Amino acid sequence: MYIYDEIDQKLVEQRVAQFRGQTQRFLNGQLSEDEFRVLRLQNGLYIQRHAPMLRVAIPYGMLTSNQLRTLAYVARRWDKGYAHLTTRQNIQFNWPRLEDAPDILAKLATVQMHAIQTSGNCIRNTTTDHFAGVAYDEIINPLVWCEIIRQWSMLHPEFAFLPRKFKIAVSGSVTDRAAIGVHDIGLQAVEHNGEFGFRVFVGGGLGRTPLVGKLINPFVAWYDLLTYLQATLRVYNLHGRRDNKYKARIKILVKDLTPEVFAQQVNEQWARIKGGADTVTAEFVSAIADKFTWPSYGVLHENGSAAIAPHLEASPAFARWFRTNIHQHKITGYSSVTVSLKATGSPPGDITADQMDVLAEMADNYGFGELRVSHEQNIILPDVKTKSLYALWQELSVLNLATPNIGLITNIIACPGGDYCSLANAVSIPVAEAIQQKFDDLDYVHEIGELDLNLSGCMNSCGHHHVGHIGILGVDKAGEEWYQITLGGRQSGALKAGVKSNTDSNASAAIGRVIGPSFAREQVPDVIARLIQTYLSIRESDVERFIDVVDRVGIEPFKKDVYMDPLLAKTSNLVRESNV
Amino acid sequence: MSDSNPNLIRGGQLTVNEVQCFDMNNEQALLVPPDDAIWMVTFDTWLAHQLLLEGRQFPVAVLIPSDADFDDATSTHVHALCQADIALIAIDFPSYTDGRGYSLAQLLRNIYQWSGELRAVGDVMIDTVYYLARCGFDSFLIKPGHDAQLALDALHTFSDTYQKSYRQPIKSNRP
Repeated sequence: MYIYDEIDQKLVEQRVAQFRGQTQRFLNGQLSEDEFRVLRLQNGLYIQRHAPMLRVAIPYGMLTSNQLRTLAYVARRWDKGYAHLTTRQNIQFNWPRLEDAPDILAKLATVQMHAIQTSGNCIRNTTTDHFAGVAYDEIINPLVWCEIIRQWSMLHPEFAFLPRKFKIAVSGSVTDRAAIGVHDIGLQAVEHNGEFGFRVFVGGGLGRTPLVGKLINPFVAWYDLLTYLQATLRVYNLHGRRDNKYKARIKILVKDLTPEVFAQQVNEQWARIKGGADTVTAEFVSAIADKFTWPSYGVLHENGSAAIAPHLEASPAFARWFRTNIHQHKITGYSSVTVSLKATGSPPGDITADQMDVLAEMADNYGFGELRVSHEQNIILPDVKTKSLYALWQELSVLNLATPNIGLITNIIACPGGDYCSLANAVSIPVAEAIQQKFDDLDYVHEIGELDLNLSGCMNSCGHHHVGHIGILGVDKAGEEWYQITLGGRQSGALKAGVKSNTDSNASAAIGRVIGPSFAREQVPDVIARLIQTYLSIRESDVERFIDVVDRVGIEPFKKDVYMDPLLAKTSNLVRESNV
Repeated sequence: MSDSNPNLIRGGQLTVNEVQCFDMNNEQALLVPPDDAIWMVTFDTWLAHQLLLEGRQFPVAVLIPSDADFDDATSTHVHALCQADIALIAIDFPSYTDGRGYSLAQLLRNIYQWSGELRAVGDVMIDTVYYLARCGFDSFLIKPGHDAQLALDALHTFSDTYQKSYRQPIKSNRP
């Protein structure tokens, strides 16, 4: 965990003081609604359907048990006893009062937390692999680089008022678990002639115009990273569109200029600052690394598998959980555990104050007091001794936190939707729950295998539906809620054998394709069930995943089965004329 | 733009703005402003009448719009401007959320080596002067309705910074 020094702490406190002043001026009428809006957004405060919403940053998804306890305190004292984990690895409170926001932020500052740049047209929280620092397949530890980017981007004087929001993701592993292809800038660590650096993808993103990022530089050496980012942001700040907010993201600029011309403009700006004051030095990298407290793993003489083998044998439920929720750790004898917040009946990504306290306790007892938030809206216990997994599982089971569904259909990514969000066209949470209920047979869910199902309540795509293997988008038709289905989306990874990622000019993400007219809300679970039946009937074996089948046969067989189904056809006819 | 209220921050203090805006469509049909005070002309006017604007007792101030493009095609003009005998360069903020002026300021300071006064005008407020100062502005014409004294204080909002290549605001004598 990165530990603040005096300067880090002072900056966060000074930001609280600044925001307190701004809030006061607004409440006193010295700052207009319009002026205050952007200022409060830069500090994570939205005005939502029921109340303001406060989004708190969890830099690159990393949390300490103490911080989680403080979030629980905030949830109880100023909110309704729960919060929501976001796909940017942040956490948001849905019911605070505007007047309380400065006090909440002051409380958070005592545990080195803040809401700086969690919204607004600025550089947002940098995200990374939720197994960063513990993954077995890491080229570099992205945590150090995320912190370097965190500092560089925080309170950045030149890039606070960009044309639109700006999101950066870093992957340090061979397998991209950070979805770098759907970010404004995606950084993939690579080694080149014995030196390490980053492949730079620009212009990916979801929303109204989903696009996969383009490779604009195959290798930026580590010491040049910040000047290269600065040059990229400068081109965007000067030339990104400001006349139309739907065309203001960097992806539109990259598309309009072409990636080649954009890359050339970046190079021109870069040439002017390369090697300058923001060049990263080896001393700086080690100074940042030294400010992290790294777990002292010690040497374990056993890998722990002997201790859990009898339980795997005896308990199918434990075995199932072990199969889906446990991830290989870089240190022998340790495992990383995903705590699923996707139990049927609880809104995806919601976490109660009691759950926060319990998980903080477990992070202390079973690990080194650290936790992660995944962009799939679950909590990770990164460092658990493998031999202790059974005991941990028993504790989690009692609390309904051991749902064995990571990577499976019921691990739904969903935005808060129309129940909370004023932007949404349709609800998300009840639809997610209905799908989870439809797939309540765990054996069946495991038989279906790996499947990402993502759900957004509107085009803003907070639920990342474009990159779900199955995506669901809420749309509004004459005041009614309808749901559009996409297939074949992919957030990352899944590079086919023989594809050399180094020469690939697209990130390995893919945008799903719409299968046809939308469906009524109550039909959605049946549509999904129909799609799964089609998949199971045409897969070549159980190692061929849903996404592999879509890649192999396209969306036609799925489309045909769904729209030929007499049960489903009726409604789709009703809306055919009004839909694309 | 001339105003009797001290709503200009300059040299770390509050002062009255002395620069007047020259209207291209003036009644006297003047191409350039009279040499009787500091007038502000647009970058385009300055480019068109550079020779007429040389050797003045009161050099002009030059206003750069937020959508100015300092690319290769115009860089000679920008270089010329930065070497000319002018009172100051101002960058316009049509809205405080239009952040282009921050990058233009960085280019003027670091690439074109403008070392004279750089003024932020337009939608300039208490909440933006700190970042503006870090990007190289050293004078700020605070918009109506915003307390210029609070804006001056806001130059002290943060005591430290992360980004190495951006300067610290020039501070007033206040503690």
